[in-house]
Amino acid sequence: MQLIGYTCSYIPVELLALTGFRPYRLLHGDVDSSKRGEKFVRVDACPMVKSNLDHIFRNQNDFAALVGSTGCDMSRRMLDVAAENTRIPVLVFNNPRTDNRTIFHDEIDWLTQRLERLSRRQFNPASIQNEVTKWESMRVELRTIDERRAANPSQVSTASFHEVMTAYCQGAFDRDVSICRERADRPRVYLLGSAITYESNAILRLIEDHLRIVGDFNCGLSRALDIRIQEPTLAGIEETYYGQPPCVFKRPDRRFIDHVRDETRRLNCTGVVAWTLDYCDAYEFELRKIERTIDLPVLRIRSDFSLQGSSQLRTRIEAFVEMLCSKT
Amino acid sequence: MKDILTPRERFGLLVIDEKPDRCNVLPLVTSHAATVKGMRLRDYYTDGEKMARAQIAALETYGHDAVSIFSEVGIIAEAMGTEFEYPENDLPIQRKPVLEKCAIDDVECPDPINDGRLPVYMEAIEYAYDALGDRVPILAYVPAPFTTGMMLSNPNKFLIQTIREPEAVGRILDKSLRAAIDLCYHIIDKGGLPLIVDPLASSSVVSPATFRRYALPYERRLVQFLHRYDLDVILHICGDTAPILELLPETRADLISIDQVSLAKTQEVLSGKMRLIGNYDTSKLAFSAAEEIAREVREMVRLGMTTKKGYIAATGCEVPVHAPIPNVMAFVNAAKESGWYWV
Amino acid sequence: MFEDIAPAKIGLEEWSRQFACVSDDLIRRYTYYGNNEWGIYLSPPATFMVYGARELKKLKYDNSLAALRLWGFTFNESERLFRARQNGMRVIATMGDLGTVPVIVMAFPSCIPFYPDCTWWTPFFNESTVLLDKASELGVPEASCFVRSSLAAFYKRAYFPKPEALFASTGASCDDYSALMQMVQDLGHDLTWLEIPYRRQRHEEDDPEEFCGTEQGYQYAARFDNYLANEYRRVWDKMRALTGNGDTAELKRSIRKANRLRRLVAKIKKTAGQASVAPFPALEMMVVEFGNLYGYGDIDEWTDIVEMVHNTVSERAAKGTGVLGPDAVPIAWITPTADPLLLNVAENLGARIVETEYVINQAHVEIDENIDPFLALARSFMNASLIGSTSERVRRIRDSVNQGRIKGVIISNMLGCSHCAMETRLIEEKLKDLPVLSIDVPAPMGITEQLRTRISAFMETLR
Repeated sequence: MQLIGYTCSYIPVELLALTGFRPYRLLHGDVDSSKRGEKFVRVDACPMVKSNLDHIFRNQNDFAALVGSTGCDMSRRMLDVAAENTRIPVLVFNNPRTDNRTIFHDEIDWLTQRLERLSRRQFNPASIQNEVTKWESMRVELRTIDERRAANPSQVSTASFHEVMTAYCQGAFDRDVSICRERADRPRVYLLGSAITYESNAILRLIEDHLRIVGDFNCGLSRALDIRIQEPTLAGIEETYYGQPPCVFKRPDRRFIDHVRDETRRLNCTGVVAWTLDYCDAYEFELRKIERTIDLPVLRIRSDFSLQGSSQLRTRIEAFVEMLCSKT
Repeated sequence: MKDILTPRERFGLLVIDEKPDRCNVLPLVTSHAATVKGMRLRDYYTDGEKMARAQIAALETYGHDAVSIFSEVGIIAEAMGTEFEYPENDLPIQRKPVLEKCAIDDVECPDPINDGRLPVYMEAIEYAYDALGDRVPILAYVPAPFTTGMMLSNPNKFLIQTIREPEAVGRILDKSLRAAIDLCYHIIDKGGLPLIVDPLASSSVVSPATFRRYALPYERRLVQFLHRYDLDVILHICGDTAPILELLPETRADLISIDQVSLAKTQEVLSGKMRLIGNYDTSKLAFSAAEEIAREVREMVRLGMTTKKGYIAATGCEVPVHAPIPNVMAFVNAAKESGWYWV
Repeated sequence: MFEDIAPAKIGLEEWSRQFACVSDDLIRRYTYYGNNEWGIYLSPPATFMVYGARELKKLKYDNSLAALRLWGFTFNESERLFRARQNGMRVIATMGDLGTVPVIVMAFPSCIPFYPDCTWWTPFFNESTVLLDKASELGVPEASCFVRSSLAAFYKRAYFPKPEALFASTGASCDDYSALMQMVQDLGHDLTWLEIPYRRQRHEEDDPEEFCGTEQGYQYAARFDNYLANEYRRVWDKMRALTGNGDTAELKRSIRKANRLRRLVAKIKKTAGQASVAPFPALEMMVVEFGNLYGYGDIDEWTDIVEMVHNTVSERAAKGTGVLGPDAVPIAWITPTADPLLLNVAENLGARIVETEYVINQAHVEIDENIDPFLALARSFMNASLIGSTSERVRRIRDSVNQGRIKGVIISNMLGCSHCAMETRLIEEKLKDLPVLSIDVPAPMGITEQLRTRISAFMETLR
């Protein structure tokens, strides 16, 4: 089955799936592909964007279309680069950064029409309901795992959770999403920051050698689970995707900050790990404010996907753990 | 409290009638900088780089708000031919005024790049500006024509001339003005802000009538020249200026630096007309205890900050060369602590 | 004196010497806000150097009276804003949109718009890291656009007064801009967010009736005009609430003023670009172009200055005189440089900048005077440089290439700037049939011999 690539948590996977193509979130990120991506963009572009470009270019025949949003400037421009370098049709919808429901709804309507034309299918209420049900049931299953992850003590590692979320992000419904019990009494931390790419599992494992990530607000992890469509209609999809906990790009950022603070409290976290990719300015700008607001120790990890500094990172994590333990 | 602004930003706000984070603090640290740096005075005033380095060292020690490029008021007269001697550990001493050797018409206006120790000043300004110019105003003291005129002559003769030969004095002052303007051109092009000093126009030296007739018109013309550049002009007159307070606005200077005159009285006359700079008694910096200095400075600053047009906490005259460093520190710290405008 | 003077680029000291011959009457003739005391602005570059603009010593300037006015006026902006507030005017900050919101602000009596964003030049003019260091202290990452200096300026309150209102445009804009404006809001400013839509290109399958186009050939869904017009109405409402006024006739008048300025600048660019010898230096031309954003806070006086620039440029073009040699190589410059010295360096090494894309295309198009003013403003903004695709952005440069007007392109990039990171390779690709030099604008005081050598070698290849 051909893929329909997408870049943003505000793009409804249900609509993408209605095309008959498999929704595939563009979340690639490793050192080699990032380096190769510098063929298309400058070295100071987001490493994930560079990896994604490399992935798109090398697998262009797999993609029936790419769908992006204005959520992040580099991500939006990534599709511009993809359009110039491949023949893959590209659709970019306006995801307003401010509270502007009209634009969002109009743009989802536009996206729906374009997807219909692209796939030469009519999205009718029945097919929409069917797709919503399918994806919602997947999310229900994943939420159960997320709850086990959030339990105290936590029963599931985020590294394992990441693997099952990868299946969701890649639209791979056929993959086994069952997870063994991995109880841990390590310090409970919340994960924030840039998207967790498919290839980032090793870094999660490195973190969880010493800590247990019990919640997160990262693309590629649990953000998709905040989508709870009550009404299986196009209007229901629009409303739900618009009303999800706001991403870091939304302005003003108050609701985002409040959400993070509430989640860290709900999950009884004693610290936060902020994982940001090089040149991911949005999070870098926000981190100090987050630190002030949530009043928890924050371990900042800056990454270009390389594991070259892993021993140094391990030491930093150990020091962070010591600090958390001394606080409790 | 921690400073929010740099001295440059602070001064910039003051001169456009805005309240900065705190009042500018400007003890007139001139040759005293050599003491801070542990440098012989002669090295300080004969080597531009050393002068600048000493000024920077003083700034780092005290944390005040401007660099003061200056050693003594004879600098223009010297470049025009007045002879000085240069003691190793004292300021230059006038030996023979040029007008005892020739007539004023034979005296050439100096070239600031080549004549006397003006190149020392130029080098000092350039060095300090390159090092600190983005953060700190570089004040370059320029002797006013009246003071230079007196340094070109035998002072007693010059004063007698003001009564008996006003035309001759006029010629001397005209030439001194040209020399001062030429110097200002070069100072400005190096990034320095000329600060006019006219100590010999003080009422401690001359009568108000003499000031009005000879000093003031030339001060005003120098100020007018600097105003063409839209520069904010500081005029410093040492000693007693009480008898001439009413005349000072006529100089058109934007900021007036006062010495031995009551700050309260000065405010009564000038508060809404000029920004005031002053005026802690410098002898106390040399001889009083640091605690006493701090207490008195706090009182001075509280009063000074009520000046309508703005205020700079300063010493009334140059900080004595050998003033104890803790005393100067006490002055600066007390002025900073009590000089906050922003809450 | 200026009538007889041969066009040239001169240094700061030469300007000081030349300024000595400027009469007091001439100095008094030019004022902002009509004030004869503090509103005088005709000063040579040395004045601003004395107040800390250290790079001015390294720059070369046009030697005309028009250039003297231009520099005096623009360097006076900080004081002008404080004076405005002291005299009961309202100072309104506009950020991120670069060119449209100020037209609305200027429609309100005694309201002065300004762009804190323009503080990004200050560290370079001052050769100073004061603002950048403070921005870092405030939590801004060091690998972000130099516009971060504006946050420090807000914090310090020494570069412009606290604005009574702040309009911040986000959406299809740079991420660091948006994040920075958020930090400004967190400092406690009354900030109104505006949404800028992405100008999506029309696909073949799209219904043409749903689309509209600009004079410059950009096509986009017509509803975007309405989105933007509504945002501008919100600006209007906010300003009306702030001032207690609001007359759309004044808005139309403001649009006419903006158009007059934009037409003048277009004429200058055209005349300068077509002249046999460059009649005006690139640096001053950049200042002229950016004046379109908001007239540097006094559009009447600024327009008068630009009129003088126009006369100077026209006279020189007619006589075939100018500031560069006839052998200077015509090039285009893409993305404005934060460091003004770079333009001087390029000219010194033989370049003549005849085409520019300074990310402010929206401030160069005329605003329709015959339709609803908010809609007209929206339509003009839809020409913006950064809200669409890269190919749209470089189209004008491409046209110049096709007309044989330019022989090479210099792209100046800012490390950490999202559009630079993503666009530069594409631009190079789009212009691959002619030499393109891509340079990173270094931090203040960072122009090295190596960078000069690169530009020099590039210019050699064009000869």
